[in-house]
Amino acid sequence: MDLGLIVYALNLASIYALMAIGISILWSSVGIINMAHGATFAISGYAAWLVTGALKPVIAAAFGKTALASMVMAGALVGSAIVAGALCGVIIYLLAFLPIHDKPNYPVRALIITLGLNIATVQGLLWTFGPRNQGLPKIFGFGRWEVFGTRIRYDQAGTIIGAIIVLGLTLAWLRYSRRGLEIRAMMQNAEGAAYSGISRQITALPVLMLTGALAGMAAALLSQTIFVSPTSGVIPLVKGLTIALLGGLGSVAGAVIGAILVGFLEAIVGAIPFLGQRYVLFATFLFIIAVLIVRPRGIGGLLDDTRE
Amino acid sequence: MSDNTYHKVGRRPWEWKLKPIGTDERPRLRLPGTRRHWLKWRDVHNPKTLRRERVLADKMPLWWTLGLGFVAIITPFMPNSMISVMSIFCIYAAINVLWTLIVGTAGIFSLATLAVVGASGYVAAAANVYLGVPWPFMLIIGPIVGFLFGAILAAPSTRLDGLYYALLTMGVAEICRVFVVQLRALTQTNGAITQVDSFIPEAWFLQRPGLLLGFAGAFLLLLGALLVWRLVNSERLGMLLRVARTSREDEAFAEAIGIDFRRARLMVFVISSAALGVVGAFYTMYYRSISPTIFSLDQLLLLFAMMVIGGLGRAEGAVVGAAIVTMIDKGLVELGPPRIILVAFIMIGVTIFAREGLTGARHQFRDYRKRKSGERRARRTEKGGEAMPEEATEVHDKQELYYRRFNKRLRDRLKTLITPELIEEHKRDPLGHHSDALARVLNYFRRAEMADKYVIHRMIPTEERFRIMAVSGVRGLPPRVVDDREYTDINDAYHAVFLLRVNDLLES
Repeated sequence: MDLGLIVYALNLASIYALMAIGISILWSSVGIINMAHGATFAISGYAAWLVTGALKPVIAAAFGKTALASMVMAGALVGSAIVAGALCGVIIYLLAFLPIHDKPNYPVRALIITLGLNIATVQGLLWTFGPRNQGLPKIFGFGRWEVFGTRIRYDQAGTIIGAIIVLGLTLAWLRYSRRGLEIRAMMQNAEGAAYSGISRQITALPVLMLTGALAGMAAALLSQTIFVSPTSGVIPLVKGLTIALLGGLGSVAGAVIGAILVGFLEAIVGAIPFLGQRYVLFATFLFIIAVLIVRPRGIGGLLDDTRE
Repeated sequence: MSDNTYHKVGRRPWEWKLKPIGTDERPRLRLPGTRRHWLKWRDVHNPKTLRRERVLADKMPLWWTLGLGFVAIITPFMPNSMISVMSIFCIYAAINVLWTLIVGTAGIFSLATLAVVGASGYVAAAANVYLGVPWPFMLIIGPIVGFLFGAILAAPSTRLDGLYYALLTMGVAEICRVFVVQLRALTQTNGAITQVDSFIPEAWFLQRPGLLLGFAGAFLLLLGALLVWRLVNSERLGMLLRVARTSREDEAFAEAIGIDFRRARLMVFVISSAALGVVGAFYTMYYRSISPTIFSLDQLLLLFAMMVIGGLGRAEGAVVGAAIVTMIDKGLVELGPPRIILVAFIMIGVTIFAREGLTGARHQFRDYRKRKSGERRARRTEKGGEAMPEEATEVHDKQELYYRRFNKRLRDRLKTLITPELIEEHKRDPLGHHSDALARVLNYFRRAEMADKYVIHRMIPTEERFRIMAVSGVRGLPPRVVDDREYTDINDAYHAVFLLRVNDLLES
């Protein structure tokens, strides 16, 4: 296996991990299977496109063509995507969590509402912006490094490093902050957390904003490789969902392992000549079905058993 | 009372009711060969009108007949485009009813419904086109394929639960789509099989007689799906699952009381898969072709939206939801993408406000009304010493309850009489001729129980020193001193007692 394949696999894995961890954390703490994660992804991409489009002349006037200008541009892109993702999280909180979180049938209803939001958003984006792909400015620049004889593109390296940094920060926040402690308590046992005085209503909002921001970050990073389009959220959503389930819902480590496995699987299947890109999803699902039949609760799915 | 106008009583006085004749025996129509009745007639006693009435305890057959009859009668008079919309509605409703059987009755969250339909449709179409099997046999090939496919899909359903199984079935649908698209024999038609023979003659296809024939077939298909739903739910299989549903969390318990409900669930799954196979063969014949879009996620989500809007797990919900969504999706085609947004918003709105979709709204409203009236009753009885309803069942002497209620109302009335003027009047003249209001208040005070009743104590060594005490109400137990104030005038003491009693009354 050559190094380019590994880098490509890691690139896929880091994006998938960002999506899957968001879905996984959200399910285990708040109890929503967030089908609107793809919508968050697409909206963040469009927000970044709009903001960078609006700021381009301003930045060019202020900084010219210096390295500082591209830094500011990168900041604007990532920042707007993250803010848009967090705002989407607030909308999901207001529609899919707040009105029904203490009503019967809550998980299924939350799933349905987020699904409805997803459909409405995709169709709304299609209606407003049309089906055309939109390219975002390349924040990592064009070019490649030569490492051990293989070439690594800047955007691939940037995506992998950025995803690792963001995931590290998120996990550190979950591990060391007070709010993170509350969220982890809710992930372990929602009822027990409520008995200890942790408000579900108050804790759900940062969780939704965090997962939304993770989806926004994924959108910003993926926009370096592919274009932004109204349906660009569907594939990351399906991948994120499948990986979250593969890793076992509620297990962050399982989600990371799942993302890496699926990333490598896709890279390898895509590289095999007689299979190619068309069989990637096919192979992924076959792999996941095989894993689920062997381990019905996913790779790290011991948590679900303890939750019951 | 000379005028003879009678007013109807009860919650729905306008409702028309059958009046049974007491001497006649009720004719009971039974399904031939069984002991089942067609309709659930019941003779009941109406406590409001004090009459006997014959009511239909389960009115669903009535609504089904009215609704389906309306569809069947009105469609032949519609324009051509609407006839095809109605046919599509019937096909979708049939799929949804069978899916409801899987999700609601069997409790298996499968997303492979359209995959089963598509797979059986494809095999039936291939048999017709490539092997030359005549079209009536497609209706046999379809269910066989559906049965086999369902059996394969059902195998992991006992092992995986909930979302994991849903994911697996979604994966199966995707695998089917990719498989069909990749088939070399079908590449020139983009994965579709066309030129399928059909029950609609070639010359009639897309003509009015052909459309009407297609609608008739689709309507029969819907009736067949409903029949399958009814048979499964009313026979032993459905009853077992209904019993087990209360203990779905505890599979061990259900099995301990002798319900092999995993097997029952699998049976329901396989039966409805076979029925979906029929739908698949019909679908292929109706369009004379089948394409990979049937495996697509969008189509699946549209069907899911139908079930959700109507109410997950109910046959009427599946049909009502199919009607609404099909009308919006196919009937308002000129609207463009906003119609899907409209469907999504309806879906979100229904889910936020309704617990079980539109068809569950009535039940939800009744629950709401019951809860609210309970809350009102609780608020009415919580104050003033009146007995709470729970408490009232424990009190043996019901006279006591009415005495407490009377006392409470009396106190409420007296509280409105207490004014500064009234107190001033008593202060001026504690004994003597009083106004009507004051006389009523004082009468109430005099009638009070002995326990904790305020009395004036004339202190022994001197003649003109008084203080206020409260008697214990128990023989042998001395009264207690209320406070350490002493009065030198008996009228002041009278007024002090009055004030204490007024205070207690206002606080009660």
